[in-house]
Amino acid sequence: MKSIAADPPAAAPTSNAAGIAAAPLPRRTRGQQSLSLAWMMWPAVVFVGAMIVFPLVYAVWISLYDASLGAESRYVGLGNYLGLVQDPEFRNAFKVTWLLYAAALSMQLVLGTWLGVVLNGVTWARNLVCTIAITPFMLPPVVVGMMAMVLLDPSVGIVNWIIGLVGIPPQLWLAHPKWVLASVALVDTWQWAPFVALLVLGGLQSLPASVFEAAEVDGVTGWRRFVYVTLPLLGPTLLTAAVLRSVDLLRFFDLVFIATRGGPGNASTTMNMYAYQQGFEFSRFGWASASMITLSLVVLCTVVVFARLRRAVTW
Amino acid sequence: MSDASASPLRLRSPTTLLLGRLQVILMLTIVLLPIAWMLLASFKHSVDVMSLPPKLYTAPTLDNYRELFVRTEFLHNTWNSLVVASGATVLGLVLAIPAAFAISWHRMTWPATLTLFARMAPGTLFLLPWFVLFSKLDLVGSYTVLILTHGAITVPVALWTLLPYFDAVPRALVESGQIDGCRPHSILLRIALPLVVPGIVVAAILCFVFTWNYFLFALALSGFDTKTAIVASFNFVGEGVTNWGALMAAASMIAMPPLILALLVQRRLVSGLAVGAVKG
Repeated sequence: MKSIAADPPAAAPTSNAAGIAAAPLPRRTRGQQSLSLAWMMWPAVVFVGAMIVFPLVYAVWISLYDASLGAESRYVGLGNYLGLVQDPEFRNAFKVTWLLYAAALSMQLVLGTWLGVVLNGVTWARNLVCTIAITPFMLPPVVVGMMAMVLLDPSVGIVNWIIGLVGIPPQLWLAHPKWVLASVALVDTWQWAPFVALLVLGGLQSLPASVFEAAEVDGVTGWRRFVYVTLPLLGPTLLTAAVLRSVDLLRFFDLVFIATRGGPGNASTTMNMYAYQQGFEFSRFGWASASMITLSLVVLCTVVVFARLRRAVTW
Repeated sequence: MSDASASPLRLRSPTTLLLGRLQVILMLTIVLLPIAWMLLASFKHSVDVMSLPPKLYTAPTLDNYRELFVRTEFLHNTWNSLVVASGATVLGLVLAIPAAFAISWHRMTWPATLTLFARMAPGTLFLLPWFVLFSKLDLVGSYTVLILTHGAITVPVALWTLLPYFDAVPRALVESGQIDGCRPHSILLRIALPLVVPGIVVAAILCFVFTWNYFLFALALSGFDTKTAIVASFNFVGEGVTNWGALMAAASMIAMPPLILALLVQRRLVSGLAVGAVKG
């Protein structure tokens, strides 16, 4: 069995070293002569510092100012942040972000786990299946957005035609304030549930077979085995998937920007979309930076929570 | 070999197996249909693209592609995408390879954590300060600025992908190189680098695909001459183009490079994508 989806890479090089490692090496005194490679990381650190830390500091600084295009900027302290909390548009964006997050993440984890378990049981054509499962999440978001627009078009889209065959009236999908979030969540799930499935498949294949054999001996099979044996053992894998998806879903932007422009109205304006509009369409730089930093903190807190959780479930 | 998948399988009845296969086929259909639909539509005449009930077979035409390449700047845009994605990939690798070597050797965590922030903050956060900075330097619209800004994506991605590969290089091997009198850079180039080639391939492909797919930075920072294929096709949507066939042709063209590259490394990609979360 060679196919492991998330195998820890590059175990191969160790064999090359076996001969050399076996010979006793003349040890030099530690510390003074030990190899220092620290300088090798400085180019990257300087680059990251210039490209990431500088903008970050700048954004924090400007978020304390009432700075807009063509107006004198004025220090307002935390005024922008306090204003954000009271702004109904931002509150809406906050709500939209979390609604979309909850819907998409739960669908992706449930479907991904289900598919991963199915894939684990069916060895038939697995390589081909895994190859195909990669394709959706390698596609550029622009392409996914275009596909969604064409397929979900209310009048000429094929999805309405298909549901029409079974007697469901045509839906507005991306153009309906009530359904737009569900549609976007569905499209994102189409793209990312296969990713979760591949992670789950990798997780399942790294589990010890003895546990499943023991469960079988004890007569725990089928659904009960899934709930009491497989799922708890998959905990760390699922949390990894949840972290990765959370970071993307909380910053949700691409698909909304392309397919709905945050609309209809503000029904799909996520926090990231809101920040973009404020900054680049209304040129409210201070305000937009404050909302972007708020969003960054939201993402950071979520990741920290998940990291804690994973430490709790790691076996 | 005993692994988890083998033992539960033995007791499966033919019906369960068949059910499993049906679920897999259902999944593949749902995954592939939209992609197949896009490809098919790109070879249809515009009137046929939107006809319902859908015409599964129409006489294929290259009109959409002809329109795309002759009447728009799409070929030039694709070239721009290629330049930016390759440039950012090379930049990412050149900076990340020595850094990953050093970080792995000294078992440091802070530089990697620092770059992890780049993956967590929204791209819009960086865009505004960059725009101000690069406007002052009069660089907005140049290849330089596009490669540099996408480097902010590729350096962290390459670093995180490469770390486990460098961790797998035996320390004794590096030490023996040092004892033999190798300078640090030749230890990296002659000893460590050949051992991490698979990692470099995965990192390069991830960097290329991420840059190719990312559109926000190019949207705001590219000029008329440096507009990437993604941004150009996004503008087709914005203009409310009614020519769905040409739109699908553009989408198919943009989708090809990432898909082909992804097929080359397949499942190593998944571990490459996941590695940041596992360590963080």
